[in-house]
Amino acid sequence: MRSIRRSLRAVFLTTLCSAAGVNAESAEIVITYIGATNTAAYLGVQQGLAEANVQGEFLGTQYRLIAVSSLPAEDDIGIAIISAVSEPALRELADKFRDVPMLNVALNAATLREQCSENLFHIGPSDTMLADANQQWQQKMPGSTARAQTWHKSFRKYAAGQLNSRFSKRFSRPMNDDAWAGWAAMKLLADTVVRRPSMTSRELLIELQTNLAFDGQKGSDLSFRETGQLRQPLLLVDEGKIVGEAPVRGVAVPPNLDSLGSLFCAK
Amino acid sequence: MFIVNRYRKLFVIIVCVMLGNLGAFAAPPERIFVTNERDDSVSVIDGQTNTVIATIAIGKRPRGIGISPDGKEAYVAISEDNAIAVFDPQTFAVLRTFSSGDDPETFAVHPNGNIYISNEEDAKASVFNPITGELIAEIKVGIEPEGVAISPDGTRVIVTSESTNMLHVIAVPEHTIVSNILVGARPRAATFNQSGKIAYATSEISGEVKKVDIASGEIIAKMPLADDRAKPKDILLSADGSKLYVAGGRANQIFILDESTLEILHTVPVGKRVWGLALSKDGSLLYTTDGVSNQVSVIDTKQFTVVATIPVGKFPWGIAVYP
Repeated sequence: MRSIRRSLRAVFLTTLCSAAGVNAESAEIVITYIGATNTAAYLGVQQGLAEANVQGEFLGTQYRLIAVSSLPAEDDIGIAIISAVSEPALRELADKFRDVPMLNVALNAATLREQCSENLFHIGPSDTMLADANQQWQQKMPGSTARAQTWHKSFRKYAAGQLNSRFSKRFSRPMNDDAWAGWAAMKLLADTVVRRPSMTSRELLIELQTNLAFDGQKGSDLSFRETGQLRQPLLLVDEGKIVGEAPVRGVAVPPNLDSLGSLFCAK
Repeated sequence: MFIVNRYRKLFVIIVCVMLGNLGAFAAPPERIFVTNERDDSVSVIDGQTNTVIATIAIGKRPRGIGISPDGKEAYVAISEDNAIAVFDPQTFAVLRTFSSGDDPETFAVHPNGNIYISNEEDAKASVFNPITGELIAEIKVGIEPEGVAISPDGTRVIVTSESTNMLHVIAVPEHTIVSNILVGARPRAATFNQSGKIAYATSEISGEVKKVDIASGEIIAKMPLADDRAKPKDILLSADGSKLYVAGGRANQIFILDESTLEILHTVPVGKRVWGLALSKDGSLLYTTDGVSNQVSVIDTKQFTVVATIPVGKFPWGIAVYP
Protein backbone atom coordinates (compact mmCIF):
# COMPACT_ATOMS: atom_id res chain seq x y z
CA MET A 1 0.00 0.00 0.00
CA ARG A 2 2.73 2.33 1.03
CA SER A 3 4.71 1.63 -2.11
CA ILE A 4 1.65 2.31 -4.24
CA ARG A 5 1.13 5.57 -2.47
CA ARG A 6 4.79 6.40 -2.98
CA SER A 7 4.65 5.65 -6.68
CA LEU A 8 1.45 7.65 -6.98
CA ARG A 9 3.25 10.51 -5.31
CA ALA A 10 6.08 10.11 -7.80
CA VAL A 11 3.60 10.25 -10.69
CA PHE A 12 2.01 13.30 -9.15
CA LEU A 13 5.38 15.02 -8.79
CA THR A 14 6.33 14.12 -12.35
CA THR A 15 3.06 15.57 -13.57
CA LEU A 16 3.67 18.74 -11.61
CA CYS A 17 7.16 19.03 -13.03
CA SER A 18 5.88 18.41 -16.57
CA ALA A 19 3.39 21.20 -16.13
CA ALA A 20 6.24 23.46 -15.10
CA GLY A 21 8.20 22.11 -18.04
CA VAL A 22 11.36 21.55 -16.03
CA ASN A 23 13.14 18.39 -14.93
CA ALA A 24 10.25 16.29 -16.16
CA GLU A 25 10.83 12.59 -16.53
CA SER A 26 12.04 12.17 -20.09
CA ALA A 27 10.03 10.65 -22.89
CA GLU A 28 12.49 8.91 -25.22
CA ILE A 29 12.19 9.20 -28.97
CA VAL A 30 14.23 6.82 -31.10
CA ILE A 31 15.37 7.58 -34.64
CA THR A 32 17.39 5.19 -36.80
CA TYR A 33 20.19 6.27 -39.13
CA ILE A 34 21.15 3.82 -41.85
CA GLY A 35 24.38 4.35 -43.75
CA ALA A 36 28.09 4.97 -43.34
CA THR A 37 29.08 6.87 -40.21
CA ASN A 38 32.37 8.30 -41.54
CA THR A 39 30.52 10.87 -43.66
CA ALA A 40 29.65 14.56 -43.44
CA ALA A 41 25.95 13.63 -43.55
CA TYR A 42 26.35 11.60 -40.37
CA LEU A 43 28.12 14.49 -38.62
CA GLY A 44 25.19 16.66 -39.66
CA VAL A 45 22.78 14.17 -38.09
CA GLN A 46 24.85 14.27 -34.90
CA GLN A 47 24.69 18.09 -34.88
CA GLY A 48 20.92 17.92 -35.34
CA LEU A 49 20.69 15.38 -32.53
CA ALA A 50 22.61 17.62 -30.14
CA GLU A 51 20.31 20.55 -30.97
CA ALA A 52 17.18 18.42 -30.66
CA ASN A 53 18.33 17.36 -27.21
CA VAL A 54 18.85 20.99 -26.14
CA GLN A 55 15.19 21.53 -26.95
CA GLY A 56 14.25 18.17 -25.42
CA GLU A 57 15.97 19.04 -22.16
CA PHE A 58 13.57 21.95 -21.66
CA LEU A 59 10.51 19.88 -22.50
CA GLY A 60 11.28 16.48 -21.00
CA THR A 61 11.91 14.77 -24.33
CA GLN A 62 15.07 12.85 -25.13
CA TYR A 63 16.22 11.79 -28.59
CA ARG A 64 18.27 8.64 -29.13
CA LEU A 65 19.89 7.79 -32.44
CA ILE A 66 20.54 4.21 -33.51
CA ALA A 67 23.16 4.09 -36.26
CA VAL A 68 23.35 0.95 -38.42
CA SER A 69 25.17 0.28 -41.68
CA SER A 70 22.43 -1.74 -43.36
CA LEU A 71 18.81 -2.78 -43.17
CA PRO A 72 18.05 -3.85 -39.61
CA ALA A 73 16.81 -7.40 -39.07
CA GLU A 74 14.40 -6.56 -36.29
CA ASP A 75 11.54 -4.15 -36.82
CA ASP A 76 12.19 -1.90 -33.87
CA ILE A 77 13.56 1.12 -35.69
CA GLY A 78 11.90 3.96 -33.77
CA ILE A 79 9.69 6.70 -35.14
CA ALA A 80 11.63 7.56 -38.32
CA ILE A 81 14.62 6.55 -40.45
CA ILE A 82 17.31 8.85 -41.83
CA SER A 83 18.80 7.11 -44.84
CA ALA A 84 22.17 7.46 -46.52
CA VAL A 85 22.02 4.23 -48.53
CA SER A 86 21.90 3.38 -52.25
CA GLU A 87 18.72 3.69 -54.29
CA PRO A 88 17.86 -0.05 -54.36
CA ALA A 89 18.41 -0.33 -50.61
CA LEU A 90 16.32 2.79 -49.97
CA ARG A 91 13.44 1.39 -52.07
CA GLU A 92 13.58 -1.85 -50.16
CA LEU A 93 13.45 0.06 -46.87
CA ALA A 94 10.57 2.25 -48.00
CA ASP A 95 8.59 -0.84 -48.98
CA LYS A 96 9.34 -2.68 -45.79
CA PHE A 97 8.43 0.16 -43.39
CA ARG A 98 5.50 1.79 -45.17
CA ASP A 99 4.25 3.70 -42.14
CA VAL A 100 7.68 5.05 -41.19
CA PRO A 101 8.93 8.37 -42.58
CA MET A 102 12.17 7.70 -44.47
CA LEU A 103 14.38 10.78 -44.89
CA ASN A 104 16.87 10.52 -47.76
CA VAL A 105 20.00 12.61 -47.14
CA ALA A 106 22.29 11.09 -49.77
CA LEU A 107 20.66 10.70 -53.19
CA ASN A 108 19.94 13.57 -55.59
CA ALA A 109 18.26 11.70 -58.46
CA ALA A 110 15.10 13.45 -59.70
CA THR A 111 13.73 10.10 -60.90
CA LEU A 112 13.66 8.85 -57.30
CA ARG A 113 11.48 11.84 -56.33
CA GLU A 114 9.14 11.39 -59.28
CA GLN A 115 8.17 7.93 -58.02
CA CYS A 116 6.30 9.70 -55.21
CA SER A 117 6.64 6.96 -52.57
CA GLU A 118 4.35 8.04 -49.78
CA ASN A 119 6.86 7.63 -46.97
CA LEU A 120 9.99 8.96 -48.75
CA PHE A 121 11.19 12.46 -47.98
CA HIS A 122 14.17 13.99 -49.79
CA ILE A 123 16.10 16.58 -47.80
CA GLY A 124 18.80 17.66 -50.25
CA PRO A 125 17.84 19.21 -53.61
CA SER A 126 17.20 17.02 -56.66
CA ASP A 127 19.64 17.29 -59.56
CA THR A 128 16.98 19.15 -61.57
CA MET A 129 16.59 21.73 -58.77
CA LEU A 130 20.34 22.36 -58.96
CA ALA A 131 20.18 22.54 -62.77
CA ASP A 132 17.24 24.99 -62.67
CA ALA A 133 19.09 27.19 -60.19
CA ASN A 134 22.13 27.21 -62.51
CA GLN A 135 19.96 28.08 -65.49
CA GLN A 136 18.21 30.93 -63.66
CA TRP A 137 21.60 32.31 -62.66
CA GLN A 138 22.88 32.09 -66.25
CA GLN A 139 19.87 34.14 -67.41
CA LYS A 140 20.84 36.87 -64.99
CA MET A 141 24.63 36.57 -65.29
CA PRO A 142 25.41 35.03 -68.70
CA GLY A 143 28.76 33.23 -68.75
CA SER A 144 29.06 33.14 -64.95
CA THR A 145 30.97 30.13 -63.63
CA ALA A 146 28.92 30.01 -60.41
CA ARG A 147 27.23 26.72 -59.53
CA ALA A 148 24.27 25.94 -57.29
CA GLN A 149 24.82 24.35 -53.87
CA THR A 150 22.63 23.42 -50.93
CA TRP A 151 24.77 25.18 -48.34
CA HIS A 152 28.07 27.01 -47.87
CA LYS A 153 30.45 27.46 -44.98
CA SER A 154 30.44 31.24 -45.43
CA PHE A 155 26.63 31.56 -45.50
CA ARG A 156 25.70 34.03 -42.75
CA LYS A 157 22.18 35.37 -43.40
CA TYR A 158 19.10 33.98 -41.67
CA ALA A 159 21.19 32.76 -38.71
CA ALA A 160 23.06 30.44 -41.13
CA GLY A 161 26.25 31.89 -39.63
CA GLN A 162 25.23 30.62 -36.19
CA LEU A 163 24.64 27.09 -37.54
CA ASN A 164 27.98 27.15 -39.39
CA SER A 165 29.77 28.20 -36.24
CA ARG A 166 28.02 25.58 -34.07
CA PHE A 167 28.97 22.85 -36.55
CA SER A 168 32.58 23.91 -37.05
CA LYS A 169 33.09 24.32 -33.29
CA ARG A 170 31.83 20.79 -32.66
CA PHE A 171 33.60 18.97 -35.50
CA SER A 172 36.51 21.29 -36.44
CA ARG A 173 35.46 21.24 -40.06
CA PRO A 174 33.13 23.37 -42.17
CA MET A 175 29.52 22.37 -42.78
CA ASN A 176 29.00 21.24 -46.39
CA ASP A 177 25.91 20.25 -48.42
CA ASP A 178 25.69 16.70 -47.05
CA ALA A 179 26.22 17.84 -43.47
CA TRP A 180 23.41 20.38 -43.87
CA ALA A 181 21.07 17.65 -45.20
CA GLY A 182 21.88 15.40 -42.23
CA TRP A 183 21.36 18.24 -39.76
CA ALA A 184 18.12 19.34 -41.44
CA ALA A 185 16.69 15.80 -41.43
CA MET A 186 17.24 15.36 -37.70
CA LYS A 187 16.16 18.90 -36.81
CA LEU A 188 12.92 18.87 -38.80
CA LEU A 189 12.00 15.47 -37.35
CA ALA A 190 12.56 16.72 -33.80
CA ASP A 191 10.77 20.04 -34.42
CA THR A 192 7.74 18.09 -35.62
CA VAL A 193 7.71 15.26 -33.07
CA VAL A 194 8.09 17.68 -30.16
CA ARG A 195 4.59 19.03 -30.74
CA ARG A 196 3.20 15.72 -29.48
CA PRO A 197 5.90 13.26 -28.41
CA SER A 198 3.38 10.41 -28.21
CA MET A 199 2.61 10.55 -31.94
CA THR A 200 3.02 7.40 -34.04
CA SER A 201 5.22 7.06 -37.13
CA ARG A 202 2.12 7.28 -39.32
CA GLU A 203 1.00 10.49 -37.58
CA LEU A 204 4.49 11.94 -37.93
CA LEU A 205 4.43 11.12 -41.65
CA ILE A 206 1.18 13.07 -42.09
CA GLU A 207 2.49 15.98 -39.99
CA LEU A 208 5.62 16.19 -42.17
CA GLN A 209 3.51 16.18 -45.35
CA THR A 210 0.96 18.72 -44.21
CA ASN A 211 2.28 20.77 -41.33
CA LEU A 212 6.05 21.28 -41.48
CA ALA A 213 7.31 24.46 -39.77
CA PHE A 214 11.04 24.65 -40.45
CA ASP A 215 13.36 27.20 -42.05
CA GLY A 216 16.61 25.22 -42.26
CA GLN A 217 18.43 28.48 -41.38
CA LYS A 218 17.73 29.49 -45.00
CA GLY A 219 15.22 32.26 -44.28
CA SER A 220 12.11 30.64 -45.85
CA ASP A 221 9.24 28.54 -44.60
CA LEU A 222 10.21 25.14 -46.05
CA SER A 223 7.73 22.37 -46.87
CA PHE A 224 7.55 19.04 -48.71
CA ARG A 225 6.18 18.66 -52.22
CA GLU A 226 3.93 15.79 -53.23
CA THR A 227 7.10 14.16 -54.59
CA GLY A 228 8.57 14.19 -51.08
CA GLN A 229 11.12 16.83 -52.07
CA LEU A 230 11.91 19.55 -49.51
CA ARG A 231 11.28 22.96 -51.08
CA GLN A 232 14.29 25.16 -50.39
CA PRO A 233 16.37 28.08 -51.62
CA LEU A 234 19.83 27.27 -53.07
CA LEU A 235 23.09 29.19 -53.09
CA LEU A 236 25.12 30.20 -56.15
CA VAL A 237 28.81 29.80 -55.36
CA ASP A 238 31.70 30.99 -57.48
CA GLU A 239 35.34 30.38 -56.54
CA GLY A 240 34.39 29.63 -52.95
CA LYS A 241 32.22 32.73 -52.57
CA ILE A 242 28.43 33.05 -52.40
CA VAL A 243 27.40 35.28 -55.30
CA GLY A 244 23.63 34.79 -55.27
CA GLU A 245 20.60 32.86 -54.17
CA ALA A 246 18.04 30.87 -56.16
CA PRO A 247 15.17 31.31 -56.90
CA VAL A 248 16.90 34.20 -58.70
CA ARG A 249 14.90 37.38 -58.20
CA GLY A 250 13.45 38.81 -61.42
CA VAL A 251 14.18 35.58 -63.34
CA ALA A 252 12.43 32.74 -61.49
CA VAL A 253 9.08 31.58 -62.89
CA PRO A 254 7.00 31.18 -60.80
CA PRO A 255 8.74 33.73 -58.53
CA ASN A 256 9.01 31.26 -55.64
CA LEU A 257 10.63 28.02 -54.46
CA ASP A 258 8.60 26.00 -56.97
CA SER A 259 10.65 27.47 -59.83
CA LEU A 260 13.31 24.93 -58.87
CA GLY A 261 12.85 21.29 -59.95
CA SER A 262 9.80 19.24 -60.81
CA LEU A 263 6.54 19.29 -58.88
CA PHE A 264 5.00 16.25 -60.46
CA CYS A 265 4.95 12.48 -60.05
CA ALA A 266 5.87 10.26 -63.01
CA LYS A 267 2.76 8.81 -64.63
CA MET B 1 -20.27 95.38 -19.21
CA PHE B 2 -18.48 95.67 -22.50
CA ILE B 3 -15.27 96.55 -20.70
CA VAL B 4 -15.65 93.68 -18.25
CA ASN B 5 -16.07 91.29 -21.14
CA ARG B 6 -12.93 92.58 -22.78
CA TYR B 7 -10.97 92.13 -19.57
CA ARG B 8 -12.39 88.70 -19.08
CA LYS B 9 -11.16 87.71 -22.53
CA LEU B 10 -7.70 89.12 -21.80
CA PHE B 11 -7.65 87.28 -18.47
CA VAL B 12 -8.50 84.01 -20.22
CA ILE B 13 -5.72 84.59 -22.76
CA ILE B 14 -3.17 85.32 -20.03
CA VAL B 15 -4.13 82.22 -18.06
CA CYS B 16 -3.92 80.14 -21.21
CA VAL B 17 -0.46 81.43 -22.03
CA MET B 18 0.68 80.76 -18.45
CA LEU B 19 -0.77 77.26 -18.49
CA GLY B 20 0.83 76.63 -21.86
CA ASN B 21 4.23 77.63 -20.52
CA LEU B 22 3.64 75.61 -17.40
CA GLY B 23 2.80 72.59 -19.53
CA ALA B 24 5.95 73.00 -21.55
CA PHE B 25 7.95 73.32 -18.35
CA ALA B 26 6.38 70.27 -16.70
CA ALA B 27 6.79 67.91 -19.65
CA PRO B 28 10.02 68.30 -21.63
CA PRO B 29 9.61 67.47 -25.31
CA GLU B 30 9.86 63.77 -26.09
CA ARG B 31 12.99 62.55 -27.77
CA ILE B 32 13.15 59.39 -29.83
CA PHE B 33 16.47 57.53 -29.95
CA VAL B 34 17.13 55.29 -32.95
CA THR B 35 20.10 52.92 -33.37
CA ASN B 36 21.49 52.82 -36.90
CA GLU B 37 22.95 49.35 -37.40
CA ARG B 38 25.16 50.23 -40.39
CA ASP B 39 26.17 53.74 -39.32
CA ASP B 40 27.46 52.93 -35.82
CA SER B 41 25.32 55.78 -34.56
CA VAL B 42 22.18 56.81 -32.68
CA SER B 43 19.86 59.40 -34.26
CA VAL B 44 18.06 61.71 -31.83
CA ILE B 45 14.61 62.84 -33.00
CA ASP B 46 12.72 65.77 -31.48
CA GLY B 47 9.20 64.47 -30.87
CA GLN B 48 7.60 67.87 -31.51
CA THR B 49 9.24 68.76 -34.80
CA ASN B 50 9.87 65.18 -36.05
CA THR B 51 13.39 66.12 -37.09
CA VAL B 52 16.78 64.67 -36.23
CA ILE B 53 18.46 67.12 -33.86
CA ALA B 54 21.63 65.16 -33.10
CA THR B 55 23.58 62.06 -34.10
CA ILE B 56 25.65 60.20 -31.52
CA ALA B 57 28.72 58.10 -32.49
CA ILE B 58 28.02 55.08 -30.30
CA GLY B 59 30.05 51.99 -31.34
CA LYS B 60 30.04 49.14 -33.84
CA ARG B 61 26.74 47.70 -35.09
CA PRO B 62 24.33 49.21 -32.58
CA ARG B 63 21.06 47.30 -32.24
CA GLY B 64 19.01 46.98 -29.01
CA ILE B 65 18.34 50.16 -26.99
CA GLY B 66 16.74 50.85 -23.60
CA ILE B 67 16.47 53.55 -20.94
CA SER B 68 17.09 53.22 -17.20
CA PRO B 69 14.00 53.37 -14.94
CA ASP B 70 15.16 56.70 -13.45
CA GLY B 71 15.65 58.15 -16.93
CA LYS B 72 19.26 59.10 -16.26
CA GLU B 73 20.96 56.72 -18.67
CA ALA B 74 20.33 55.10 -22.03
CA TYR B 75 21.87 51.76 -23.05
CA VAL B 76 22.78 50.51 -26.52
CA ALA B 77 23.95 47.00 -27.47
CA ILE B 78 26.99 47.55 -29.70
CA SER B 79 27.12 44.05 -31.14
CA GLU B 80 30.49 44.04 -32.87
CA ASP B 81 32.17 45.61 -29.85
CA ASN B 82 30.64 42.85 -27.65
CA ALA B 83 29.56 45.59 -25.26
CA ILE B 84 26.83 47.88 -23.99
CA ALA B 85 27.37 51.61 -24.50
CA VAL B 86 25.85 54.02 -21.98
CA PHE B 87 24.88 57.59 -22.91
CA ASP B 88 23.21 60.53 -21.17
CA PRO B 89 19.74 60.98 -22.72
CA GLN B 90 19.78 64.71 -21.94
CA THR B 91 23.28 65.75 -23.05
CA PHE B 92 23.81 62.82 -25.52
CA ALA B 93 27.33 62.37 -24.12
CA VAL B 94 28.63 58.77 -24.19
CA LEU B 95 29.41 58.00 -20.55
CA ARG B 96 31.02 54.54 -20.65
CA THR B 97 30.82 51.05 -22.12
CA PHE B 98 30.92 47.69 -20.40
CA SER B 99 31.58 44.20 -21.68
CA SER B 100 28.42 42.15 -22.21
CA GLY B 101 29.50 38.79 -23.63
CA ASP B 102 29.51 37.83 -27.31
CA ASP B 103 27.43 39.70 -29.85
CA PRO B 104 24.70 41.32 -27.72
CA GLU B 105 21.61 42.01 -29.82
CA THR B 106 18.51 42.70 -27.79
CA PHE B 107 17.95 43.33 -24.10
CA ALA B 108 15.32 44.66 -21.72
CA VAL B 109 15.70 46.94 -18.70
CA HIS B 110 14.21 45.62 -15.46
CA PRO B 111 12.31 48.00 -13.10
CA ASN B 112 15.19 47.45 -10.62
CA GLY B 113 17.67 48.83 -13.16
CA ASN B 114 19.39 45.58 -14.19
CA ILE B 115 19.46 44.61 -17.83
CA TYR B 116 18.65 41.20 -19.32
CA ILE B 117 20.56 40.36 -22.50
CA SER B 118 20.20 37.46 -24.92
CA ASN B 119 23.59 36.05 -26.04
CA GLU B 120 22.80 34.52 -29.40
CA GLU B 121 26.05 32.57 -29.90
CA ASP B 122 26.15 31.07 -26.42
CA ALA B 123 22.56 29.86 -25.87
CA LYS B 124 22.24 31.86 -22.66
CA ALA B 125 20.76 34.99 -21.18
CA SER B 126 22.89 37.28 -19.00
CA VAL B 127 21.89 39.72 -16.29
CA PHE B 128 24.05 42.81 -15.78
CA ASN B 129 24.11 45.69 -13.36
CA PRO B 130 24.71 48.51 -15.84
CA ILE B 131 26.00 50.89 -13.16
CA THR B 132 28.90 48.64 -12.17
CA GLY B 133 29.06 46.50 -15.33
CA GLU B 134 28.92 43.45 -13.06
CA LEU B 135 27.54 40.16 -14.41
CA ILE B 136 24.87 39.11 -11.91
CA ALA B 137 23.62 35.86 -13.42
CA GLU B 138 23.68 33.65 -16.49
CA ILE B 139 20.74 31.49 -17.46
CA LYS B 140 21.05 28.59 -19.92
CA VAL B 141 18.35 28.87 -22.59
CA GLY B 142 17.68 27.37 -26.04
CA ILE B 143 19.63 27.85 -29.26
CA GLU B 144 19.86 31.36 -30.73
CA PRO B 145 18.13 33.34 -27.96
CA GLU B 146 16.70 36.60 -29.26
CA GLY B 147 13.79 38.59 -27.80
CA VAL B 148 13.67 39.64 -24.15
CA ALA B 149 10.55 40.88 -22.30
CA ILE B 150 10.01 41.74 -18.64
CA SER B 151 6.65 41.62 -16.83
CA PRO B 152 5.42 44.98 -15.47
CA ASP B 153 5.93 43.81 -11.86
CA GLY B 154 9.41 42.51 -12.68
CA THR B 155 8.87 38.95 -11.40
CA ARG B 156 9.06 37.24 -14.81
CA VAL B 157 11.37 37.55 -17.80
CA ILE B 158 10.74 35.91 -21.18
CA VAL B 159 13.61 35.02 -23.48
CA THR B 160 12.71 33.66 -26.92
CA SER B 161 15.02 31.08 -28.49
CA GLU B 162 14.77 31.22 -32.24
CA SER B 163 16.16 27.85 -33.23
CA THR B 164 14.56 25.98 -30.32
CA ASN B 165 11.14 27.59 -31.04
CA MET B 166 10.26 28.46 -27.48
CA LEU B 167 9.62 31.06 -24.86
CA HIS B 168 11.61 30.52 -21.68
CA VAL B 169 9.90 32.02 -18.65
CA ILE B 170 12.47 33.01 -16.01
CA ALA B 171 11.63 33.87 -12.38
CA VAL B 172 13.20 36.98 -10.84
CA PRO B 173 15.10 37.22 -8.52
CA GLU B 174 15.75 33.44 -8.52
CA HIS B 175 16.90 33.42 -12.16
CA THR B 176 15.58 29.93 -12.73
CA ILE B 177 13.43 28.82 -15.66
CA VAL B 178 9.88 28.12 -14.48
CA SER B 179 8.42 27.09 -17.82
CA ASN B 180 9.21 26.56 -21.48
CA ILE B 181 6.46 27.22 -24.00
CA LEU B 182 6.68 25.94 -27.58
CA VAL B 183 5.52 28.49 -30.17
CA GLY B 184 5.81 28.87 -33.96
CA ALA B 185 9.06 28.64 -35.92
CA ARG B 186 11.70 31.26 -35.11
CA PRO B 187 10.18 33.35 -32.30
CA ARG B 188 11.67 36.85 -32.45
CA ALA B 189 10.01 39.04 -29.86
CA ALA B 190 7.57 38.90 -26.97
CA THR B 191 5.70 41.29 -24.70
CA PHE B 192 3.58 40.94 -21.56
CA ASN B 193 0.09 42.29 -20.91
CA GLN B 194 -0.43 44.73 -18.05
CA SER B 195 -1.17 42.02 -15.47
CA GLY B 196 1.91 40.03 -16.50
CA LYS B 197 -0.19 36.87 -16.77
CA ILE B 198 -0.39 36.80 -20.56
CA ALA B 199 2.35 37.18 -23.15
CA TYR B 200 2.30 37.65 -26.91
CA ALA B 201 5.06 36.46 -29.22
CA THR B 202 5.89 36.86 -32.90
CA SER B 203 7.26 33.94 -34.93
CA GLU B 204 9.23 35.02 -37.96
CA ILE B 205 9.08 31.91 -40.13
CA SER B 206 5.56 30.77 -39.34
CA GLY B 207 4.51 34.44 -39.81
CA GLU B 208 2.20 34.48 -36.84
CA VAL B 209 1.43 35.94 -33.43
CA LYS B 210 0.69 33.69 -30.47
CA LYS B 211 -0.97 34.58 -27.19
CA VAL B 212 0.09 32.44 -24.23
CA ASP B 213 -1.00 32.00 -20.64
CA ILE B 214 2.18 32.27 -18.58
CA ALA B 215 1.06 30.12 -15.66
CA SER B 216 -0.29 27.17 -17.65
CA GLY B 217 1.89 27.50 -20.74
CA GLU B 218 -1.24 27.13 -22.88
CA ILE B 219 -1.54 28.83 -26.27
CA ILE B 220 -4.77 30.84 -25.91
CA ALA B 221 -4.92 32.24 -29.43
CA LYS B 222 -2.88 32.47 -32.60
CA MET B 223 -3.13 34.54 -35.74
CA PRO B 224 -1.26 34.18 -39.03
CA LEU B 225 -0.51 37.57 -40.55
CA ALA B 226 -2.32 38.25 -43.78
CA ASP B 227 0.76 38.59 -45.97
CA ASP B 228 3.12 35.82 -47.11
CA ARG B 229 6.07 38.17 -46.88
CA ALA B 230 5.30 39.00 -43.27
CA LYS B 231 8.25 38.12 -41.10
CA PRO B 232 7.03 39.69 -37.91
CA LYS B 233 9.52 41.09 -35.46
CA ASP B 234 8.73 43.62 -32.73
CA ILE B 235 5.44 43.48 -30.84
CA LEU B 236 3.97 46.08 -28.45
CA LEU B 237 0.77 46.49 -26.47
CA SER B 238 -1.19 49.74 -26.90
CA ALA B 239 -1.27 52.16 -23.94
CA ASP B 240 -4.85 51.13 -23.04
CA GLY B 241 -4.00 47.43 -23.41
CA SER B 242 -6.67 46.79 -26.03
CA LYS B 243 -4.51 46.38 -29.14
CA LEU B 244 -1.22 44.89 -30.27
CA TYR B 245 1.15 46.51 -32.74
CA VAL B 246 3.25 44.10 -34.80
CA ALA B 247 6.14 45.09 -37.09
CA GLY B 248 5.64 43.08 -40.29
CA GLY B 249 9.25 42.96 -41.55
CA ARG B 250 9.26 42.38 -45.31
CA ALA B 251 5.51 42.91 -45.53
CA ASN B 252 6.42 46.61 -45.13
CA GLN B 253 3.46 47.28 -42.89
CA ILE B 254 2.34 47.41 -39.28
CA PHE B 255 -0.40 45.01 -38.23
CA ILE B 256 -2.79 46.19 -35.53
CA LEU B 257 -4.45 43.28 -33.72
CA ASP B 258 -7.22 43.00 -31.19
CA GLU B 259 -5.55 42.02 -27.91
CA SER B 260 -8.25 39.56 -26.98
CA THR B 261 -8.88 37.62 -30.21
CA LEU B 262 -5.71 38.60 -32.16
CA GLU B 263 -8.03 39.54 -35.03
CA ILE B 264 -6.27 41.90 -37.47
CA LEU B 265 -8.11 45.23 -37.18
CA HIS B 266 -5.93 47.43 -39.39
CA THR B 267 -2.76 47.43 -41.42
CA VAL B 268 -0.65 50.53 -41.91
CA PRO B 269 1.88 50.62 -44.79
CA VAL B 270 5.29 51.95 -43.73
CA GLY B 271 8.82 51.77 -45.22
CA LYS B 272 10.76 48.67 -46.19
CA ARG B 273 11.73 45.93 -43.71
CA VAL B 274 10.08 47.34 -40.60
CA TRP B 275 11.67 45.90 -37.45
CA GLY B 276 11.50 48.09 -34.34
CA LEU B 277 8.56 49.72 -32.53
CA ALA B 278 8.16 52.28 -29.74
CA LEU B 279 5.19 54.22 -28.35
CA SER B 280 5.04 57.85 -27.23
CA LYS B 281 4.42 58.26 -23.48
CA ASP B 282 0.70 58.92 -23.95
CA GLY B 283 0.38 56.13 -26.51
CA SER B 284 -0.97 58.42 -29.23
CA LEU B 285 2.00 57.91 -31.57
CA LEU B 286 3.74 54.73 -32.71
CA TYR B 287 7.30 55.04 -34.05
CA THR B 288 8.68 52.36 -36.39
CA THR B 289 12.20 51.71 -37.71
CA ASP B 290 11.97 50.97 -41.43
CA GLY B 291 15.35 49.24 -41.87
CA VAL B 292 15.91 49.25 -45.63
CA SER B 293 14.23 52.65 -46.13
CA ASN B 294 16.58 54.32 -43.61
CA GLN B 295 13.67 56.10 -41.97
CA VAL B 296 11.38 56.23 -38.97
CA SER B 297 7.62 56.32 -39.60
CA VAL B 298 5.29 58.05 -37.14
CA ILE B 299 1.80 56.54 -36.90
CA ASP B 300 -1.26 58.18 -35.32
CA THR B 301 -2.65 55.32 -33.22
CA LYS B 302 -6.23 56.64 -33.39
CA GLN B 303 -6.38 57.29 -37.14
CA PHE B 304 -4.06 54.41 -38.12
CA THR B 305 -2.25 56.64 -40.57
CA VAL B 306 1.38 57.66 -41.04
CA VAL B 307 1.65 61.32 -40.04
CA ALA B 308 5.38 61.75 -40.67
CA THR B 309 8.45 59.95 -42.00
CA ILE B 310 11.84 60.97 -40.69
CA PRO B 311 15.09 60.13 -42.52
CA VAL B 312 17.66 58.74 -40.06
CA GLY B 313 20.95 56.76 -40.47
CA LYS B 314 21.58 53.50 -42.33
CA PHE B 315 19.51 50.49 -41.28
CA PRO B 316 17.64 51.86 -38.28
CA TRP B 317 17.09 48.93 -35.89
CA GLY B 318 16.23 49.71 -32.27
CA ILE B 319 14.07 52.57 -31.03
CA ALA B 320 13.22 54.07 -27.63
CA VAL B 321 11.19 57.07 -26.49
CA TYR B 322 12.49 59.40 -23.75
CA PRO B 323 11.47 60.37 -21.13
